[in-house]
Amino acid sequence: MTAPATLPDTVAPARPAPPPADPAERRARASQSFWTAVVGVPAVFSVLRLGVEAGGELQTTLLLVANVGTVNLLAGFLTTAAALLSTALVAVFALGAVLRVSVDRMSSGMRRPLFARWVDSTPAWFAVASFLLALATWPLLYLPLLLPAFVAAFQLSPERLHEQRVPRLFLLGAGFAGYLWLLGPTLLDAGRQGEVLAVVLLVVPPVLALFVTGPLPAAVIRPLASITEAAVLAMLVWAALPVISTPVLPLTVTTVESAPGVTEDVRGHVVTVDDVDVVLLQERGGVRYLPVDQVRAQVLCPSEDELPRRQLRVRDFHVEDSLLEGLGRRVRPVHRIDAACRTVD
Amino acid sequence: MPEVLARHRIRSLATTLAVALTLTLAAVAGCDNRREPPLPSVLDKLRESHIDGQAKIKIGVATTEPLMGELRNGTHTGFDVEIARYVASSLGFEGDQRIEWVSLATEDRIPALQGGTVDLVVSSFSITEEREKLVSFAGPYFVTTQEVMVPKRLRDRVRTIEDLRRPELKICTSGGSTTEAELEKHQVRAYVVKEVGDCVRGIREGRYDAVSSDETILAGFLSQYPTEFEIVDMPFGTSELLGIGVPIGDPALRDLVAFFLQKSYLEGRDGISSPWLTAYNRTLGPWLKADKSQPQPLNVPKLVDFDDKAPRR
Repeated sequence: MTAPATLPDTVAPARPAPPPADPAERRARASQSFWTAVVGVPAVFSVLRLGVEAGGELQTTLLLVANVGTVNLLAGFLTTAAALLSTALVAVFALGAVLRVSVDRMSSGMRRPLFARWVDSTPAWFAVASFLLALATWPLLYLPLLLPAFVAAFQLSPERLHEQRVPRLFLLGAGFAGYLWLLGPTLLDAGRQGEVLAVVLLVVPPVLALFVTGPLPAAVIRPLASITEAAVLAMLVWAALPVISTPVLPLTVTTVESAPGVTEDVRGHVVTVDDVDVVLLQERGGVRYLPVDQVRAQVLCPSEDELPRRQLRVRDFHVEDSLLEGLGRRVRPVHRIDAACRTVD
Repeated sequence: MPEVLARHRIRSLATTLAVALTLTLAAVAGCDNRREPPLPSVLDKLRESHIDGQAKIKIGVATTEPLMGELRNGTHTGFDVEIARYVASSLGFEGDQRIEWVSLATEDRIPALQGGTVDLVVSSFSITEEREKLVSFAGPYFVTTQEVMVPKRLRDRVRTIEDLRRPELKICTSGGSTTEAELEKHQVRAYVVKEVGDCVRGIREGRYDAVSSDETILAGFLSQYPTEFEIVDMPFGTSELLGIGVPIGDPALRDLVAFFLQKSYLEGRDGISSPWLTAYNRTLGPWLKADKSQPQPLNVPKLVDFDDKAPRR
C-alpha cells in the first residue's frame, strides 16, 4: 500500500547515494499512499464481499455484479462498514499525532513513523470528519473511547482549558459531574447486572483523556510505532471478515403459491425483480427464480447478527446502537417482527 | 532544575500509561464487539422447541364457552382464542390458516397435552400444583374467582355457600375442573357433567338449580342469557390463575409463551394498548363486574429479541 519514503540505492553501491528526497516530495508520497488506502480499501472490499455473498459461486457472483449497481454497492458498504472505516481512521490519526509529537522532541535522524507521516499529510478537516463519522456510527458503549482518541489526535492538553489551576480543575470537575449525571442510571443498571466491562468502558476513557497528551519517552516510540502499525492492520483484517460477510442485499421471506392452495415460504435476499421473475438469493445458498404472478407475500426480516448482547440503555438509547441508529429508532419507534421471519429457516 | 526534569518524567510516564490503557481498552472493546450474545434469543428457543418446523400449531380450545372459547359459524372466538392467536403469531404462526384448532372438553385438556394431540392449551386452564406435575404452565394471563350462577327466580334464595349445601338445590359443575374440587372442599354436593354449557342447558330445562364455575366462563353464559341468569358473588376464597398449558417435556416452548405474555404485560403497563387488553375489551371486558388488568406472568425467562433496542418511551 505504501512506498517507503526513501530507498537507499543498493543496486549500484559504487555510485554515490542519491540525495534524500526532499520533505515536500516525501509528504506527497505519504499523502498519495494514504488516499490510495482510503479509497482503495472500500472499493476492493465492496467487490470481495459480492463473492462472499454469492456463496463463492462464480455464476452467482456474476449475477450479483450484473444487478447490484456501483452506487448501491458503495452505499451498502458505507452502511455496514462506516464504523469500521472510521475506527481505522481514528486509530491512525490518534496514534499518528501521539507519535508525531513524540518524534518532534527527539533528535533528528530518526525516521518518522508511518502514521506520523500520514498525519502530516492529511488536512485537519479530514481528521475532524473522521471523528464525526465515528461519533455518528460507533455504538454508544464505545463512544467514550473517542474522547481520549480525539484529545490525542489534536493534542488538547487540559492546560488548554484555562491557564490557572483552580478554574481548570473546576471546569474539569463540572465536565465530569455532567458526564456522570448523564450516565448515572446506566452505570447503576450495569452495576446491578454485573456488567463490569460496560462500567469500565463508560467511566475510564474520560479519565485517560486527561493524560494522553504530550510526548512519550524515547524508549517507547519505536516499539509503539511498529506494534500499533501491525495492530491496526490486524484489526482491519480481523474486523473486515464480518464486514465482508455482512449481506449487501436485504433479507426477506417470500411466500409463493406454486399451485392453488400450496404455498411455500422462501427465505432469501432479493437480487432483482422484473416483469417475469423475482430473483432470490436463498439464505442457504443457490438462486431461485420465482414467477412474479405466484408471489403472494413478501416481508422484510432482521438477521441474527442484529441481536443485542446487552440490556443497557443510556437515556433510553440502547448502548449497542450508534447515535444514528438510536435517532432512527426515535423516528420509527414501533418495530414489529413479522411472524414469517420466525418460522422459516 | 531536577524538579522540572522529574515532573517531565512523571508526565511522560503518565502519558505512556494512558496511551497503553486506551489501546488496551480499545482492544477489549473490539473483542467484546465480536462476543456471542450471552442470553438465549427467541430464535434459539424456537429451534429448541418441538414446534420448530411445523406447518401449523395445534391449539386446544373450548368451543362451548361464550366469551372465552366458542365456535360460532365456523369461527373460533373468545378471550382465550384471542390470546391463543396472539401467542401463535408471536411464535411465527400468523393467521388462522397456520393454526389447527382442536376442540377440547375440560377433562381432556391434560391428556391432549400429554398425548401430543395439541401443542398448547388455552382454555380457562387454572394453574394448580397437581396439574403442574403433569403439564407445564405459562402465565397466569388472567386471574379469576369461582362464582355461582343462578336463574333469576332463585337469586334471593342462593346467597352464601351455606345455601349451596341445602339438599333441595341441585348444583352443577364441569368434571376435571378446579371448581369440582373446591365444591368438594366446602362439602357441596354437585352434579358433575362434561361442560359448563351442559349445566346451563340443564338449568334452563329445569334439571339443575345453580351452576358453579370460573367467573369468566359464567360471564360468557350470562352474556348469552342476560335476562335469565344472575352471577352471585360467593366467598370461595381462592383465586383461579388461568395459564397456558404446554407439554411438560418442552420447557423451551413454555419459556417462549411466558416471554410473549410478559411482553404484552409490559406493553399494557406502559400504557400502550397491549394484545391482552385488545382481547379483553373485545370479549370479557363489558361483561365482568370489575375491570381487570393483565396479571404479571411468573417465571419469565430473559430472552433476547430483535426489538430489544426499540425505545421504551
